[in-house]
Amino acid sequence: MVTVQRRSKLRLLALAGIAAAAVITAATSQVGRGGGDRTQIGTGSVAALARSARAADALPAQVLSYPFAARNFASPTGAGSRLLQTDGSLRLYTVPGKAGMLCLVEVDNAAQTAGAACADRGVLLTGSIFMADRSENGRLDVLGLVGDGHTYAEANGKRVGIEGNSFVLRGVEGDSVTVGSAAETQTIEVGD
Amino acid sequence: MSRTALFILIVALALLAVPVAGGGSYIYWWQHNMPTNTVGHDGFAHNHTYNELYFGPNAGWTARLWEVTPAGYTHFVRLCSGNCFYAHPPYYYATSYCANRDPNGTTHFVYDCRDEW
Repeated sequence: MVTVQRRSKLRLLALAGIAAAAVITAATSQVGRGGGDRTQIGTGSVAALARSARAADALPAQVLSYPFAARNFASPTGAGSRLLQTDGSLRLYTVPGKAGMLCLVEVDNAAQTAGAACADRGVLLTGSIFMADRSENGRLDVLGLVGDGHTYAEANGKRVGIEGNSFVLRGVEGDSVTVGSAAETQTIEVGD
Repeated sequence: MSRTALFILIVALALLAVPVAGGGSYIYWWQHNMPTNTVGHDGFAHNHTYNELYFGPNAGWTARLWEVTPAGYTHFVRLCSGNCFYAHPPYYYATSYCANRDPNGTTHFVYDCRDEW
């Protein structure tokens, strides 16, 4: 009888161990905020979000109508959004996301396209929340949101300044972009 | 204008209106909880207007959305941080694909992928 009870306890312990391992594996597999040993710049804060709102900061109704907005934006109305910069017909916005996420939104009226990327704000410590499109010639057009403290983005020897916590780099060859400040540099893998 | 001509005009206008009235978009969640190292695809070509990948509130890995025509032409490839969508005109009859990967390049499961056409 005693042996049977011990076996039952051992089985329960083994099951509990397996369950705990599964939970830990599942939890860690869900977190992808970049390596903890990577160079960090700033605190992840975004000054553009703190400035006074203007009429042009409102996200277009079309963007809010996509199901993505309801699932990812902190407010279904896109409250708190800020226009970061315009580049030709392209407009870049940021908007607070749910559960600590921050979103980068792009709207191009001429191309009739729109897109967004929402990621944990912690990503800004070690890099950028970005979107990239590969064109037919294999080059990438990269749009990025960076935290305060970043001053430039660079690829293939072409450097652009950070404007409103964002950058636009077109015609990037290769799969990486460098962002940085006067003192620190980070590499973002943007390719596939 | 005769009654016959008026009737024909009304019928023609009604026929023109039919495709518009029935032209609502289709929304299709085609991938849920995809296993590691698997690339998801919807399996059906359409003139898509919207693609979305949803990983979760703690998203951070790089996501990838792309479309490929039946002839093998890649319509577009969009790479982005975390959860993302891409909306575009229905230029191409294509199949949607989605995946995400960790910093080591391993593709991980995706919570949801969806497209609209």
